[in-house]
Amino acid sequence: MESKSSFSRRQFMELLGVSAAGFGLVSMAGCGGGGDDAKKEGGDAPAAGGASDTITYSLTADPRAVDPAYFDDGESAVVSCNMYEGLYQYGKTDAKVSPCLAKDLPEISDDGLVYTIKLNEGIKFHDGTDFNAEAVKKSIERQLEPNRNSDMPYASFVFGEEEAGNGVEKVEAVDDYTVKITMRAASAPFVKNLAMALASPIVAPSAIEKATDGQAITDPVGTGPYKFVNWTKGASITLVANEDYWGDAPKTKNLIFKIITEGNTRITSLINGECDIISSVDPSAVDQIVDGGFELFSEDGMTINYMAFNTETGKCTDQEVRKAVAQAINVEEMVKSIYGDYATVANSVMPLWMAPYDKDVKQTAYDPEAAKKALADKGITSLQCITYTTARPYNQKGGSDLARMIQGYLAEVGVDVSITEYDWTTYKTKVQTDPYDICFYGWTGDNGDPDNFMNLLADTNWSMNVAHWQDDEYKALIAEGLATPDGDERDAIYLKCEEMVAEKQPWVLISHSKNLLGYSPKVKDFYYHPTGVAFFKGVSKEA
Amino acid sequence: MLKYILKRILMVIPVLLGVTIIIFLITRVLAPDPAPVVLGEHATPEAMATWRADNGLDSPIWMQYINFIVGAVQGDLGMSYYTHQPVTAEIAARFPATAELAICAIIVASLLGVTLGVLAAVKKNKLADNVSMLIALVGVSMPIFWSGILLILLFAGILHVLPSSGRVTPLLQPTGGTGFFILDTIMRADWTALGDVLIHLILPTLALSLYSMAIITRMTRSSMLETLNADYIRTARAKGLKKGTVNIKHALRNAMLPVSTVIGLQFGSLLGGALLTETVFAWPGIGKFAVDCVLKSDFPVVQGIVLLVAVIFVIMNLVVDIVYAYLDPRIKYGAKEEG
Repeated sequence: MESKSSFSRRQFMELLGVSAAGFGLVSMAGCGGGGDDAKKEGGDAPAAGGASDTITYSLTADPRAVDPAYFDDGESAVVSCNMYEGLYQYGKTDAKVSPCLAKDLPEISDDGLVYTIKLNEGIKFHDGTDFNAEAVKKSIERQLEPNRNSDMPYASFVFGEEEAGNGVEKVEAVDDYTVKITMRAASAPFVKNLAMALASPIVAPSAIEKATDGQAITDPVGTGPYKFVNWTKGASITLVANEDYWGDAPKTKNLIFKIITEGNTRITSLINGECDIISSVDPSAVDQIVDGGFELFSEDGMTINYMAFNTETGKCTDQEVRKAVAQAINVEEMVKSIYGDYATVANSVMPLWMAPYDKDVKQTAYDPEAAKKALADKGITSLQCITYTTARPYNQKGGSDLARMIQGYLAEVGVDVSITEYDWTTYKTKVQTDPYDICFYGWTGDNGDPDNFMNLLADTNWSMNVAHWQDDEYKALIAEGLATPDGDERDAIYLKCEEMVAEKQPWVLISHSKNLLGYSPKVKDFYYHPTGVAFFKGVSKEA
Repeated sequence: MLKYILKRILMVIPVLLGVTIIIFLITRVLAPDPAPVVLGEHATPEAMATWRADNGLDSPIWMQYINFIVGAVQGDLGMSYYTHQPVTAEIAARFPATAELAICAIIVASLLGVTLGVLAAVKKNKLADNVSMLIALVGVSMPIFWSGILLILLFAGILHVLPSSGRVTPLLQPTGGTGFFILDTIMRADWTALGDVLIHLILPTLALSLYSMAIITRMTRSSMLETLNADYIRTARAKGLKKGTVNIKHALRNAMLPVSTVIGLQFGSLLGGALLTETVFAWPGIGKFAVDCVLKSDFPVVQGIVLLVAVIFVIMNLVVDIVYAYLDPRIKYGAKEEG
């Protein structure tokens, strides 16, 4: 027994050693030979940097889903908007709506409750099935109550809620190519909602039937210019051009989305030719991109970054106190100091491309002397501030720098500000439970409609309206704007809302962030839409 | 031995229960409410309440725990809050990436670590010893996220000779198969893809193996030095055996016992997911996934990954102990055998 055991052990050790050495040699031989092969193939191997029929775009995280009903994140939207299409679409650089799968803009009844939508004929889904009114009906109905489930994050925003008395009451297929949507209440932003990359895009009924009931589609089928090939979780998503696309054919055959969460690695992947376009560039890395001979995309996004006063309890319930605090803050200097050239000083709640009338709004001017006197008169010597540490789409630096600079400004006018900081996840809860006089928050728009920004201050949900501001006149304006069709009359309503925000000061407006992306000079006609998506149909890449 | 193995397997149960209780308390009691994070900016209190009810978060914590354990025993770790897919499927999709990287890293770390350790012991207090120990010191001291970024900057950013991220060029990726890309490409005789997979492995393997290599180097050196001073080595030398034969056949074989323990435990820790390496190199394994899910408050996935890592550690410990007993007949387990 002993001798047998001893023999086996020796054999085992020898086998182990030989196996390890063998594996090592094979691996090293493979490593040596593989480099050349990969370079010849021209994949994301550095020497070749990608063929001209492939564009590689880096995402910052794994998409949540490839089913428009089941995601609310930008990563999913960027991928899905190239596979699916909606009834309507935004302009190339703005949120003006034009028909896409619909033939024309909808015919809306006089009371604003019935939308009759004619559809384009002859369009097919990627699997060859017909796009028609029944497909539209099915795509919308699965997101209406009672079919809706709590994992559909944008269903209630786009299609409304029965309890709130808004949104879609029913969808009918009048004939093969006519859809009738009946609303519970008139809603001017509804057509813009139907152009969103979230919830609205039309999904093939065949894909819905194939998916597990109550779960997201994992094998996406749309009408868009690109078809789904595969998704390796955490690594990449590959799409291929839809050769039977009903519109202008896509210019690039393969569209690859690589998931690279680490910012520095994203930049190296651009420099190394592994990616052609990288998203979410940190302002501090802009020089690296420009000096490396790459293009920088820098345009205003659809955001507002602001400081909110607690208008319900604490020391800032008095409008004059809020005005005085606002006078103490040099917003322009603060924005320049924290964000450099990569954010625009906010003069209106909406970014300039959404609100061409923003220059007419008069925000509280910087006047520390007046602030000091007013705050002393009101007996304000201290304020309590809470902020978030994590970067947000509207504030890439997080809220800590903002809080400290405002602490400095207010110290100059005799007010001591105590700051409590939380990571974003904790902050979202604390902002509803902790006492505060001032806090920091922001908003990323959804549909490019003024109501989407301005109604935040009319909301009774304090997680949306952190200022807890309630003003009947303002609420009436918001209700009026919601029911008024787009045009001068509607613009005038929202200008009035902007003026009320500036005058009554529930917020101090800080900045609108810019979307920063880096891309190879070989990439042509790339544009990142302010709603946070990129359409690749017309994008090409030189060999 | 069989009795010992059975006893050890039974001991796994309380260990895993302990792990699940701790991770459950961290994610369900200490961590903030996931509803606002998962549901996003538009979440109303009513929507959050519905979501909590749909995900069983409105029931008492002990009930949630029992449901989790009952599910886990049946192989059901719940659904991801974020992707709405089964946790087991999400983990299974990523585990081959982690395992492939861990296997490559432990091979590189073992080969280099043992070589440097032997060299350092044999050439004690000479240049080779000092250089080996310096390399080991650097390996132990240098944080992986930093060494990883340096490697990326040098080989991808400056020299442009290696890719900085990912497992494979997406268009060359083998689909279906085992998920182990080296194996999949060999089975299909797709040598182009195999080459691409291997060059993508070089930098993460180097970064990940550095720390384990340093530990193995130090352990091999000290174990070798101890063995080289043993009487039987002196006897072997006195009998006129060649120096190389004594060092390798007599000293190294005995010195490898504690080293094999270290290699086994290091492999267990690498299989558990290299959080930093996977994040820096955009490596789609369970380590990076765990980090992403913590940030997104996707707690069912976090629980699933922690449970998997605990199981791997327990199994690796068990395997190491069994192999140790097998390799060294002097080691006996169990009270009766000790007596």
